[in-house]
Amino acid sequence: MKFRQRREESLDHEIRDYIERETRANIEAGMPSDQARHAAMRKLGSPQQVKEETRAVWGWVWLERLWQDIVHGRRMLAKNPGFTLVAVLSLAIGIGANSAMFSLADALLLRPLPVLRPSEVVAVGTVESAAGFSQIVASYRDYVDFRDQSKSFEGLAAFADSTFGYATRRDALAQLKLGTIVTGNMFRVMGVEPELGRSFRPDEDQAAGRDAVLILGHDFWEKEFGADPSVLGCKLLIGGIEFTVIGVAPARFTGMSRYFESAFYVPIMMWPRLVNNPQDRPLEARDYRNLTIRGRLKPGVTVSQAQAEIAAIGKNLERAYPDTNHNRAAVVRTELQARIQQSPPDAQLVAMLITLAIAVLLVACANVGGLLTSRAPTRAREIALRLAIGAGRQRLIRQLLTESLLIAVAGGLLGLLVGYGGVLFLRQIKIPSDLPIRIGIELDQRVLLYSMCLAVASAVLFGLVPAIQTTRTNLVGALRSATADAPGPRRLWGRNLLVAAQVAISLVLLTVTTFMFRGFQHMLGRGPGFRTTHLLMMSFDPGLVRYDEKQAQQFLHQLVERARTVPGVKSAALTYAIPLGNDGVDGVTVVPEGYQFPKGKEDVSVLANDVGESYFDTQGIPMRGRGFLATDTHDSPRVAVVNEEMARHYWPEQDAIGKRFRLNDRKGPWVQVVGVAKTIKYLWIAGAPIEFVYFPYVQHVKPRMTLLAESFGDPASLAAPLREAVHALDANQPIYNVRTYDEFYHYRAVSTTNLIIEVVGAMGVMGVILAMVGLYGLVAYAAGRRTREIGIRIAIGAQRGSVLRMVMHQGFVLALSGLGVGLVASFGAEGVLKAMFTGKGTDITTYLLVGPALLAVTILAGYIPARRASRVDPMKALRYE
Amino acid sequence: MSTQRELSRVELLQGTLDMLILRTLLFGPAHGHAIAHAIEHGSEDVLQVEHGSLYPALHRLVRQGLISAKEGVSENNRRAKFYSLTAKGRKHLTAENSKWARLTQAIGRIMHPLGEEGQL
Repeated sequence: MKFRQRREESLDHEIRDYIERETRANIEAGMPSDQARHAAMRKLGSPQQVKEETRAVWGWVWLERLWQDIVHGRRMLAKNPGFTLVAVLSLAIGIGANSAMFSLADALLLRPLPVLRPSEVVAVGTVESAAGFSQIVASYRDYVDFRDQSKSFEGLAAFADSTFGYATRRDALAQLKLGTIVTGNMFRVMGVEPELGRSFRPDEDQAAGRDAVLILGHDFWEKEFGADPSVLGCKLLIGGIEFTVIGVAPARFTGMSRYFESAFYVPIMMWPRLVNNPQDRPLEARDYRNLTIRGRLKPGVTVSQAQAEIAAIGKNLERAYPDTNHNRAAVVRTELQARIQQSPPDAQLVAMLITLAIAVLLVACANVGGLLTSRAPTRAREIALRLAIGAGRQRLIRQLLTESLLIAVAGGLLGLLVGYGGVLFLRQIKIPSDLPIRIGIELDQRVLLYSMCLAVASAVLFGLVPAIQTTRTNLVGALRSATADAPGPRRLWGRNLLVAAQVAISLVLLTVTTFMFRGFQHMLGRGPGFRTTHLLMMSFDPGLVRYDEKQAQQFLHQLVERARTVPGVKSAALTYAIPLGNDGVDGVTVVPEGYQFPKGKEDVSVLANDVGESYFDTQGIPMRGRGFLATDTHDSPRVAVVNEEMARHYWPEQDAIGKRFRLNDRKGPWVQVVGVAKTIKYLWIAGAPIEFVYFPYVQHVKPRMTLLAESFGDPASLAAPLREAVHALDANQPIYNVRTYDEFYHYRAVSTTNLIIEVVGAMGVMGVILAMVGLYGLVAYAAGRRTREIGIRIAIGAQRGSVLRMVMHQGFVLALSGLGVGLVASFGAEGVLKAMFTGKGTDITTYLLVGPALLAVTILAGYIPARRASRVDPMKALRYE
Repeated sequence: MSTQRELSRVELLQGTLDMLILRTLLFGPAHGHAIAHAIEHGSEDVLQVEHGSLYPALHRLVRQGLISAKEGVSENNRRAKFYSLTAKGRKHLTAENSKWARLTQAIGRIMHPLGEEGQL
């Protein structure tokens, strides 16, 4: 402020100084003094205007120049509508593909937590040190130790998402809602202030089971209570317990999960009363690991410092509680790392799609860069003139870059439109569930920012080199004649490289697309390894209606018995997880007997499911040995069924049936293998075979179970009689996720898979089209520059065919070298992709399909302009210029 | 002043004015009034500057670092702002000068396509 004032005064003084000097000079020249001053003022011009103009210089020189550049650039672009259109469209495709992929990546992986300063928040917890596939979780006891012993954090909060039975009146049927159990400090640590009411008090975080209070999620509050503020103080039934509403979360806090918004938040001290199984002691058992911890780092503390501290605490816990904490390493991870660890397939998918999208954008940039380079000679005259009359080279480069930026911004804006189309398309991904699970694929400001950053980056990428080249013009030559500057070998070399790279990238895009398409087709054709038809599923959560474990077991037992007697049911079984399902597949740690682990490893984590009697028949999974029987009970010896993959790995060339493994660790209970089931697809339709183990659910009690019924006819027709059968057992038992497996399989495996193939395919096609435009442009440009030469050749008797060959030769060489490089890169890409499918060597067919097809298209792209060039009328060609 | 003379005066391009300022300062520091008159006289009154337009140009050059401004005391003990050429400005001027030379040369060659070689 003071500086500005001084500057203003200084300018004022400067102008007064001028007037006085001029007046004095005029008087000395003999002017009368009154006229002298007048003449001085006239000579200066309006002092106000002078000041105004000078002030403008202070602040706005760069802005003014930018404006000049923009105006000039716009004029230049408007002068060449063809060029502008191709450039903008190319970029729109490239950027649009990225916008759409980024919005998917954001929804699956990248979007920050909706909390205050999310970058300070990290994930804390324990992982199984041996296993690769392990979630970062913690028990309440471990959480308390981390919270009280660490000094790196401003606060550590823990939470657990769970399903609850929700009702407003005692006589109403409970509805299934997703809620979150949180530690009392959750809202404080996350920097979230309730929109209404208050958050939890410290005393509500102390006595187990005493304070039945809850905070409503904003969305739930709006939908269920019409955003009525008088909801504060209301009593709601959660899991049959009366809770008092004390607050409402703000709209921007959508919960800690990306996939759903919690209906309500209840204090962790109420957890013991909300668990389905009274034997569970969530606040006491150190191995009841169902919590997720998020901590806010103190200012200046790095993740690795926090990691060191937490790891040390974890080591102490391992020593102090070997029974529960042996081999559980404590870790600190950033939110992104935690999310990747939570779902590696999502991260792989995202990485692959983003890479493909970037490849498309690179092809687009190469296109525009090529177009700009070919425009360079035509602009050389203009540039040379401007250089000559004193424009700085830097300034000209900036001018040219501004032009590129204009193209890029226009491309970016149009690209957002393309991206929005992509987003609409991706939103078709559905997760079949009764719960309000959402994948928030949005075109929000983050996507906007990302797209614009990409636009600017591509402007520099495709604009800088041509700009530098253009301004390196030979002044005299350029001014003398428009075409005097024959393109130097270097300039064409750069363009050739661009086009070859385009062909190479598009070949990789196409091979990847074809490979994935064929891979998925192969997978879908082979099927998941079990029967998907004639199956109806319905899920139960007996805990929702306050069954204790014994009651729940009895209910489930009766449920299957009754279901088997329903007419139309061929067989029925219970299972915890359904194959290809969204959740329910947990890892367990096992130590197979007689297997020599590599050094430093003493157990292994495998995926597991808990199933009931005749499960394998009902689900249609072929097996040897026996499935689980009614004689496998809570008290009988522990048994398990392993899949072929696991049997082959740990008991190679032996019969796994009769072998044993220890559960949890080297001192865990023995479990005997009684059967070997065929390896099927467990998580996703694609993917390498996974080791898997089944346990009888009676020996591993789970809160929720799904009833699987095999029908003789249409499985959907079983829904009504089965519901009746359930309600005959318990009229209040909630039933959810009732659907046929066919429908589920279609959503889960077929449609999502097809969607991904279509997305990848669309990017492949875009890449190829862009590359063809590039090649076409290059050959047309090169031929155009040789018009006179071609004319002479034809005039002195060259055959049109040989001219055609001559012109095409360049494009052909480029296409071939691009194909060669692309082929090598494709082999690399295939290696990466093979992990996703059960790879059996190189997929020759893909190369046989894609290589020649691309070659044909590239030849066509070169042929059209070459043919036009060979048809040139020699008279016209020679008279030209 | 006659209209005839008025017409023969060339309106100055911004870039040219900048260069003329730099050239003037080549002879040593000067204040605004002196610069204005030096330019006017130096071009024998052909290049007419509305003296006010000098000030934005001066400030722009300061901003670009080609000249520097310093408060000083003038010959008759008056406070005045003196402008002087910086090293960068000196370099810029040399570069611009050679560009001018090249331009005139280039224009010359266009006007007379047969250059020195052609006369041989």
